[in-house]
Amino acid sequence: MGKQKKEAVGTVGGRRIADIVMKCRNLWKIYGKIVAVKDVSLEIKEGDIKLIFGPSGSGKSTLARCLAMLTTPTKGDVFLREECLTKPGVALNKARARIGFVFQHIWLFHHLTGLGNVELGLRRVLKLPKKEARERAMQALREVKMEEWANKYPAQLSGGQQQRVGIARALAMSPEIILLDEPTSSLDPELTGEVIDTLRDLAKKGSTMLVISHEMPFAREVADEMMFLDEGTIVERGPPERFFTKPSSERARRFMARLIKRTRGK
Amino acid sequence: MIFKGFILTVQVTLFGVIIGLVLGILLAIGDLYGGKIPSTIIKFYVEFFRGSPLIVQLFIFYFSIPTMLNMLIDKFTVALIVFALNSAAYQKGYIKGAMESVYEDQMTASLSLGLSKAQAIRYVVLPQALRIVIPPWSNEFCSLTKSTSALLVIGVMDLTNVGKTIAAWTWRVLETYAFIALIYLLWISVVLKILDILYNKVKIPGIEITA
Repeated sequence: MGKQKKEAVGTVGGRRIADIVMKCRNLWKIYGKIVAVKDVSLEIKEGDIKLIFGPSGSGKSTLARCLAMLTTPTKGDVFLREECLTKPGVALNKARARIGFVFQHIWLFHHLTGLGNVELGLRRVLKLPKKEARERAMQALREVKMEEWANKYPAQLSGGQQQRVGIARALAMSPEIILLDEPTSSLDPELTGEVIDTLRDLAKKGSTMLVISHEMPFAREVADEMMFLDEGTIVERGPPERFFTKPSSERARRFMARLIKRTRGK
Repeated sequence: MIFKGFILTVQVTLFGVIIGLVLGILLAIGDLYGGKIPSTIIKFYVEFFRGSPLIVQLFIFYFSIPTMLNMLIDKFTVALIVFALNSAAYQKGYIKGAMESVYEDQMTASLSLGLSKAQAIRYVVLPQALRIVIPPWSNEFCSLTKSTSALLVIGVMDLTNVGKTIAAWTWRVLETYAFIALIYLLWISVVLKILDILYNKVKIPGIEITA
């Protein structure tokens, strides 16, 4: 029955819905009186790189967390492929295993080595045998150029190295989409560079990503679409070029001007 | 005779501390993640064992429970049960504190990988919490060892009770109790040293944890 259903929704109007990896519809997240995410809809297709930026407190992180179902949206729906994650009774653990998440403050498991961090999900979620998990974890660490430090504990690594392990931890699970919540904002400029290089590699490999970042040169280079978020809502969206040349909203224009000035200042 | 008493004290302490640890972990998890009703029940349990004297607890279990259940429980079993339940109440506090000090982010990161909450507790939160809990846990061990001397109220021949008997026979009160005290002291020092070594061994490299 399940298979039949899948085929039935596989194509709509000649377009394959399966091409959309993740989408949300009219998503709201309200904490008490504070509206963190306000009526956001977006879709991310296979191989897409979407970039979200906006002032602090604009709800970027909350939005990413809602998409990964790490917090439950107040209203609206989140879909991973055809599956609606906001319906009651969905196996969220299974869905989360298919969504990679990289945190702003990295959040590695302190008691495990870099390798242990990457292995944990492979062993306990994907239930891979020890040897296979190890190989796959090492492969992921190699991709972020961290294999030499595989046996170091998080506290023995620099911030940039930690974040690369964080990326490897998400990557190793072969997620269908990776959400990155300001992966470089807790790092100094030098370390930011190494993480951005890693992300650039990922982008080249065609990974589907939603990145929250203010690294504008990176955005311009890899993003298919940029979204400017302010006060919980997407104020403007479009190709990077438009944001860099003539954003249509005044709010985005002012924000871009400040960002570009800051980048040049560096 | 002294050796027998010492072994009994060690048995009760180790049983209490180990079963208490297992129960304490379960109580801490139940209190943190179990919801309102389990958490209230656990609170009552903990308050009873922390809020009433150990001797009273021993009496209750020794005199009332057998009458109530209409079966005979020997003193030694009563001692084991009371010490395990009592220690669980204290250890729950330490473990809960340690689990809370493992920040929410470790749980969020675990969930993001697709681990279930139970798996996150098992593989991420507890391994970190148990490392942190060792220093306060060694206090619990000390106090539990010394509390075994309360067993003489129900007539169990623990180390102190043996000492009391010897003192009564020989009239060498000071020497006897000094010797008994020395045995406690040595035993506790040895275990504390072991715990200290263990603590340093499992310490997460690069992090100085202060509990």
